[in-house]
Amino acid sequence: MKTTKQEILLGNGAIALGLLESGCKVVTSYPGTPSSEILPEVVQLVKSEKLDTYIEWSTNEKVALDTAFAASITGKRAACCMKQVGLNVAADSLMSAAYLGTVGGLVIISCDDPGPHSSQTEQDTRFMARLAKVPVLDPSNPQEAREMVGLAMDISEEFRIPVILRPAIRVCHARQNISFGSIKKNDQKAYFEKNPQRWAATPRFRLILHGELNKKLKEIGKKFEILSYYNFHNLESGKKYPLGIIAGGVPYSVIRDFLLEEKRTDIPVLKIGTPYPFPESLAKEFMSACKMVLVIEETDTLIEYLLRDREKVMGRLSGHVPTEGELVPQVVHKLINKVLKELNLEPFQTDDDHEAMQLVKDLQLPARRPTLCPGCPERAAFFAIRKTRPKAIFTSDIGCYTLGINLGVVDTCLDMGAAITIAAGFYHSFAQDAVEQPIVATIGDSTFFHAGPVGLLNAVYNGARFILVILDNLTTAMTGMQPTPALGIRADGSKGRAISLERIVAGCGVDFIEVVDPYDIKKTTSSLKKAVKYVNDPKGGIAVIIARHPCVIAYPDEAIPQKKRVTITEDCVECNFCLDRFECPALYHDQELGRVNINREICVDCGVCIQVCPKGAIVEA
Amino acid sequence: METINIVLSGLGGQGILFMTRVLAQAALDKGFNVMGAETHGMAQRGGSVISHLRLGKVESSLVRTGTAHFLLSLEENEGYRNLPFLSKGAKMYVNTSSRYFPREYVKEFLDKREIIYRSIPAGTIAQDLGAPRSSNLALLGYFSAFGEGPIKYKDIKMTIDTISPQKFKDINLKVFEVGYKKGKDFNNNSFD
Repeated sequence: MKTTKQEILLGNGAIALGLLESGCKVVTSYPGTPSSEILPEVVQLVKSEKLDTYIEWSTNEKVALDTAFAASITGKRAACCMKQVGLNVAADSLMSAAYLGTVGGLVIISCDDPGPHSSQTEQDTRFMARLAKVPVLDPSNPQEAREMVGLAMDISEEFRIPVILRPAIRVCHARQNISFGSIKKNDQKAYFEKNPQRWAATPRFRLILHGELNKKLKEIGKKFEILSYYNFHNLESGKKYPLGIIAGGVPYSVIRDFLLEEKRTDIPVLKIGTPYPFPESLAKEFMSACKMVLVIEETDTLIEYLLRDREKVMGRLSGHVPTEGELVPQVVHKLINKVLKELNLEPFQTDDDHEAMQLVKDLQLPARRPTLCPGCPERAAFFAIRKTRPKAIFTSDIGCYTLGINLGVVDTCLDMGAAITIAAGFYHSFAQDAVEQPIVATIGDSTFFHAGPVGLLNAVYNGARFILVILDNLTTAMTGMQPTPALGIRADGSKGRAISLERIVAGCGVDFIEVVDPYDIKKTTSSLKKAVKYVNDPKGGIAVIIARHPCVIAYPDEAIPQKKRVTITEDCVECNFCLDRFECPALYHDQELGRVNINREICVDCGVCIQVCPKGAIVEA
Repeated sequence: METINIVLSGLGGQGILFMTRVLAQAALDKGFNVMGAETHGMAQRGGSVISHLRLGKVESSLVRTGTAHFLLSLEENEGYRNLPFLSKGAKMYVNTSSRYFPREYVKEFLDKREIIYRSIPAGTIAQDLGAPRSSNLALLGYFSAFGEGPIKYKDIKMTIDTISPQKFKDINLKVFEVGYKKGKDFNNNSFD
């Protein structure tokens, strides 16, 4: 008997469900918003359904894709999950895997972040799919994402090609009620059939493989033309329309809801669930019934580029759709309304939000920039760094600690691992002019494991000099406290082999390594001073300080073993030094009191600020 | 049935996601289709946090400006920041201990749009009960006392009971009850 239950799942949970329902045997990932919750949701389901799925947090996205690819060519169904910029890291693997092909289904889930809410770029994964020549599916909501995972697996296996699923943030972090039953175990066993001409193909064979890939795409394109469950329109036969809308992904669901709400049956919609290979005949059929078509897609212009009849197309290229930022409902609503008016069609029944927007602007509400949490050990490390090296250039990296920008201790942030490589680049650029420029690089523990060592050994090998502070809070904090290799805990909670940061750093050829607790600002400062000496010594080189203290969110008890309730005395002269240089959200200037005060609602009693006040006005109560 | 749009706002760490989860689960148990959108990642580090909840047969997760029926804000300024979401005749519940709520200009706007606004010092209530991080439950309790919308006091209470981690269940229910009583008292006084 089949029992089903209904639960409110996060989009990423729905994707996890889809993966296991499709018989996925191997799932790998590196955390990154908005993809981070997929793997933990897989872990939960695997435990509750007693499946034997292999799950891992890989050290980076390329590793994740390679691992999943290997599983696929042993005949198993496999997937890897990452954020859109993670796919850049895995691009080398992706491009080649497209040529080699798959055996068991291989699905790459790359989550886009229009906005961007938590990313370096607004890049569109669909273009990466086009570049690699692999199919891409673009879900509009969690339920569809779950179903599309199964379709992606089937296509991958049928055509022996990796398939990308591109959920955007409003799919990943949407919540929807979803019904599901028990999940069947997949008993596929690993078998690798040697075939060096494919799996180790040299350029001569690559040409042949490229030809095969092109043939596969043609066949898949034909399939997508008639895949009416995901690619469909609501034209009435024989009827002509002044305007039609072509949409995919999240914007499709937004538009669908508007048109139902406004009861607008006069505007037909073509939904594209599989933007590449593009269902061209279907689009042609739709366009021939419409005088004009408006293309609304996230984040870039893939569908728009693929429509041949340029004269009829309105979209980003014609200036009708914003070229950056998220297409939130009010933006979509306004842009459609503008087009309706431009074409002399009946506009939506709009309730204009202009007055409210203006009011909010006039209120001059305080901007709430994200800050490091109260008690964050990284704040303490940053304070010591700035105190010791006020004139340094501060190269930093991707993680919570990018928020060190608020403390004036982050000058650059390019991509994962770039704290180290940019520091080396700065060193050589200044050294070339005989300028001794102090440089302090900061990188988190997880980011270091992801992309640090290669840059570090390059910097050592090529004689760069700078201080590198590894902010080791024993977790991947920004993305939701995933374990790092240093912990020896694996994705499913089982024991793994712990990897020592110190040994990696030493292995990269670094001779100066000190481990400090950043909560002790005095000791951290003295360690930094030693590092400065070493960097400037003719026989010196790169100095690495590991500032190790548990994350206050992941390990509240270990992070603050002895609570120190602080209070501010009348010695406070309102110099605001603590607010500017330490920037703890629990400290604020109390105008009524005429001094700095403590917000007890958020203070975690770490007591670090006692060491910060130049007047000694912050004391233990 | 008409779609119900709810916006929940506040600052990272105030428990907006939990408040959303309670309402969503309670709605599901009453047979609603549920769609919601959450803030994760960078935006959670003390910054503005907003959560959308839509009950009804919809496929998109974000509430459009001018269409929210309810705004529940755990912080006053974050409540103001999200005013554009409110529809005409909407209802707004804000955690604040300020006597000057709603601040100038806002009141005129709310009155003009016939928006009903109510405030409760949820933060103080939670702190007095020894649970400074439970202002979300005090606000939920207060909201439930007015019986507006499809999710009622009993539904919310039952859901808190079901989904609270064992460790926090008792205190969560206690803070919720105190918030509810405040709302009931307000109701009684206003009809005297």
